[in-house]
Amino acid sequence: MDKFSFKDVLVTVAGLFITVFIAWVLITATGNNPSEVAKYLYEGGFKGTRNIANSLYQATPLILTAVATLVSFRVGMFNIGINGSMYVGALYAGWAGYRFTGLGHFSHVTLCIAIGMFVGAAWMLLPALLRVYAGVSEIISTIILNFVAVLFVSYMANGPFRADPIAPATPRILETAELKQIFPNSQFNTGFFIAVFVAILAHFVLNKTTFGYELRSGGDGLVGMYPSRFSSYLGIPSDRSAITGMLISGALGGLAGAIEVLGAVRYFFQELEFNQGFDGILIGILGKLEPIGAIIASLFYGAIKNGGFYVDYKTDVAREIIIVLISILIFFVSAQKIVKGLEKYPIVKKLDSIFSRKKM
Amino acid sequence: MNKEIAIDLKNITKAYPGVVANKNVDFQVYKGEIHALVGENGAGKSTLMKILYGIEQPDEGEIFVNGSSEVISKVETAINLGIGMVHQEFTLVPSFTAPENIGLGQEPKNNRGLVDWKGLNNAVMDIAKKYGFEVDPGLKMIDASVGVQQRTEILKTLYRNANILILDEPTAVLTPQETDELFTVIRTLVDEGKTVIFITHKLREVMEIADRVTVMRAGEVQGVSETGNTSITELASQMVGREVFLQVKKDEAQPTEKILDVQDLWVHDARGLLAVKGIDLDIKKGEIVGIAGVEGNGQTELVEALTGLRKASKGKVMYLDEDIASSSPKNIRRKKIAHIPEDRTNTGLNTQLSIWENLIGNSYFRKPLSSRGIFNLKKVGEHANKLREDFDIRAPNVSLKVKSLSGGNQQKVVVARELSEDPSLTIASQPTRGVDIGNIEAIHEQLVQMRDEGGAVLLVSAELDEVMAVADRVGVMYEGQIVKWVNPKEVDQAQMGLYMAGVKD
Amino acid sequence: MEWIEIFDISLLRSLLRSTAPIAIVGLAAALCSAAGVLNIGLEGKMLNAAFAGVAASYYTESVWAGLAAGVTAGLLTALLFGLLSFTLGADEVLAGLAINIFSLAGTTYLMRTIWGQAGFFSDPRIVGFEPIHFTFLEGSFLEPFLSDFTYSVYLMFFLAVGLHIVYYRTRLGTAIRATGENPEAAEDAGINTVRIKWLVTIFSGALAGISGLFLSLENLTMFTEGMSAGKGYIGLVASSFGNNTPLGTFGASAFFGLGDAIGIRLQGVYELDSRLILMIPYALTVVVLILIGIRQRLKVRPVPIPES
Repeated sequence: MDKFSFKDVLVTVAGLFITVFIAWVLITATGNNPSEVAKYLYEGGFKGTRNIANSLYQATPLILTAVATLVSFRVGMFNIGINGSMYVGALYAGWAGYRFTGLGHFSHVTLCIAIGMFVGAAWMLLPALLRVYAGVSEIISTIILNFVAVLFVSYMANGPFRADPIAPATPRILETAELKQIFPNSQFNTGFFIAVFVAILAHFVLNKTTFGYELRSGGDGLVGMYPSRFSSYLGIPSDRSAITGMLISGALGGLAGAIEVLGAVRYFFQELEFNQGFDGILIGILGKLEPIGAIIASLFYGAIKNGGFYVDYKTDVAREIIIVLISILIFFVSAQKIVKGLEKYPIVKKLDSIFSRKKM
Repeated sequence: MNKEIAIDLKNITKAYPGVVANKNVDFQVYKGEIHALVGENGAGKSTLMKILYGIEQPDEGEIFVNGSSEVISKVETAINLGIGMVHQEFTLVPSFTAPENIGLGQEPKNNRGLVDWKGLNNAVMDIAKKYGFEVDPGLKMIDASVGVQQRTEILKTLYRNANILILDEPTAVLTPQETDELFTVIRTLVDEGKTVIFITHKLREVMEIADRVTVMRAGEVQGVSETGNTSITELASQMVGREVFLQVKKDEAQPTEKILDVQDLWVHDARGLLAVKGIDLDIKKGEIVGIAGVEGNGQTELVEALTGLRKASKGKVMYLDEDIASSSPKNIRRKKIAHIPEDRTNTGLNTQLSIWENLIGNSYFRKPLSSRGIFNLKKVGEHANKLREDFDIRAPNVSLKVKSLSGGNQQKVVVARELSEDPSLTIASQPTRGVDIGNIEAIHEQLVQMRDEGGAVLLVSAELDEVMAVADRVGVMYEGQIVKWVNPKEVDQAQMGLYMAGVKD
Repeated sequence: MEWIEIFDISLLRSLLRSTAPIAIVGLAAALCSAAGVLNIGLEGKMLNAAFAGVAASYYTESVWAGLAAGVTAGLLTALLFGLLSFTLGADEVLAGLAINIFSLAGTTYLMRTIWGQAGFFSDPRIVGFEPIHFTFLEGSFLEPFLSDFTYSVYLMFFLAVGLHIVYYRTRLGTAIRATGENPEAAEDAGINTVRIKWLVTIFSGALAGISGLFLSLENLTMFTEGMSAGKGYIGLVASSFGNNTPLGTFGASAFFGLGDAIGIRLQGVYELDSRLILMIPYALTVVVLILIGIRQRLKVRPVPIPES
């Protein structure tokens, strides 16, 4: 994957400006005051401990789903089913949270997380096998499994795992299974540190270990790189790399779900709604498919997402505006020809060479 | 002699970033002649023809077709001017039949606006009959032989009323016998009043078929002559700028013990057909064994089977005392067998990765590059930079992506990696394809050096000159079998041509 | 009621009704895939059209204004997809995916912001399509098979046959197939492959738009968040199962329609959990994907090695 270059930064910043302009038009057109929206967006994202804590809370699952996305993309697979892994991971982490009693805090949390990650990974097994052994596009199969996941968890919360006779929900998890919330009135929890740790670990594994090298040898960022002749030619089983990458990706999705349930929601109910799996794809791309980039992009996204909730609460502007704007930004970032077109300007080339330092 | 001029390119210049492909090129073709355009890879002949055919636009210069000035901004314009081109890579739709391919884009319509397939079939068969082609109108191109595909391509240009035909390296994929058939077709075309531009780098063919020849080197025209007034030697010196043929300095081979012994090897291809049909082959330490043959006769599958990329369906591959048939590429590489694959960009390299990441593909797991699965990036950098210098890879640093390198430098990355780990056996498939002449020599020298140091080399190449110059023994492959073993010093090219066409003796 | 009784004329009618939206968007997908365009973004086009159709119908109380608005929304979304993929060099899958996320959030945003509604929007002023009653078929044995369907069912048949003729009997059709199979060959034949890709993208945008409209203005007259519910993706699978041919895609869509129809009927018989019924089309899609995989593996059959 390309490291950040000056052109990329330029396009992203220019895209941001245009996106802000579109936002201004859109908000005005739907009868609201853009500067008021901007003010609440800022306040909701950054003002005061509680808002900052909530922004970080919003960023927590996004870091994980973005890393889940980039891991799959960089092994040459295109996993769009992270949302599905997140749902099933959340459901089963929640189940383990009330089902196993008499455990210590650390062991119970570890068990719940392990189960969430395992189920999230297992959810990705079928698309991975279908792709590797039968050539079925993982793009389509993972998308379809997202729909199956929503209905499946809803059925489970309503049926086998249902505890409450009135509301379709599982029992609350035990205290031993909780990830601690640190600030009052905020769902920010220790899961955030797990997410950051996992992202840094992913950075290390992908870039500094032979295991990461073996995973990336068959991919590294382009859509549809798998199956790579290069890795099998080197003696690295590309099938195994592709499957491993998909399972890691699913496990990280499951972890995101587990942290949501163990750290914030504390039980699983039928209407629980996740979109972070999809947002993670956008963030992964914004962060240039690098884990460190994913952390930065998630913090940014988490802040404006939390700001978006505040805007939604304070004005008539619905919170979905944030996703609309981010996807518009993605339109700009994904437009390769804009980036390439900039290369013809000498000044850009020069700045580019200054910004990209020689590594080896 | 005052002849009518069909094509007149004046002062054509075309530059790509970093390279001038055509520099003030003048190129004239008379009506009704066979005009050869020769030059090494990268000499600019393809660019010139792309300009004439409307695929590329010149930065400067003028194009005259049949005396009038034309701007050929797209292929359609060229077609309308009566220019047709047969590309080196055929442009056929695999699931379409010959008539469907020939009529593509210009199918006749009936009075309801629908395609008149019957009318198209008849029209195609008429043209085929006129020029003496045989066509099976129901055969899909995916099932057709290379010769049939090429004839379909030529018919396609004729169907579009081409009077000027550009043939881009048409003999590269043909056996000598198929080449003869093609030459008969070309002569018929000229007899019927067509003009033919014949791009090649095979000078013998130029002398045999062409009336006149234009030689290009490094984007410029080196000379125009009538074939009657020139010689292969003269053309060759114009083409490469110095009087050399492909020659490799090497001493007599000193083969010692047998390192590889292939016994009755059978291999299926990706479509489930038999590509290799019972091959016996052995290689000794200290010799280079060549495999010659027209491409597509099972060489690819043979190499894939030897290197573990494809399962052997039957037979043994004894490496020293061990059968490595259907062993994994990993196991085979561990036995110090290196592989320079024919497909550089997808197999030999991952162009999304950096130069250093490509260079350590066969050594990343060993000390000091990594230990306990963690890279020592300092040592990796030293290793990669040393290879960059030893193999003269032209890149400012090894962190660049391989996709930003030229084809020749990409190939040097592959060769550097494969030869770096001191292999006992090197399997090199088309190792110099798309590489410029200076680097071809360097790669050949490296292979000979491997041999002289006691290594064994299997060289598979469709370039007959290369196999004959580099190898100590040559097997000729035809339809999945080795039909003849020869000593390259004792046979001439004509004899080799017969073997490559499957004639055993 | 015995389970065998569910196979009757009304099951057939239900089958056709369920098939129509998948078949129409499936044919759009087939057209794109045949020309080598992997159009993930059809889902978003359906959704935008469903929303625009409801909005226009609500404000004008005219179904035809709804139709015009829906098709326009499909076209505009297709334009965006083409602009990103063909003009600005974005990856087709990424562009399609971004468009889907954009459309889901955008329609939800507009619904919540303009009408202040969450979840769904329904109003008596929204006018939908009425079924077409053929008076000349009254009393005929054909009446239950042919009459009183809404437009989508008739359109589906028309498109399947029409596109079949376009594919195999027109210059445009051969140009589309050549573009998908070997773009160089098409370019060499003077076919502008970028123009062909634009053409199928725009046309499939209109089709996806129509398909989306029938979701919001046909049997139900309402808009719900994410109401396309993966039909765009299922259409892609149907086209893939049908080898990207019109009749094959139609057949594959009917398979999905049948599953859907049986599910609905079974629900009446066995009182199954509605979520399990809703899962049927997706489960079928997974089954079809597995079948596609098996078919791909069976294609290669090694010829036997002769005895020496």
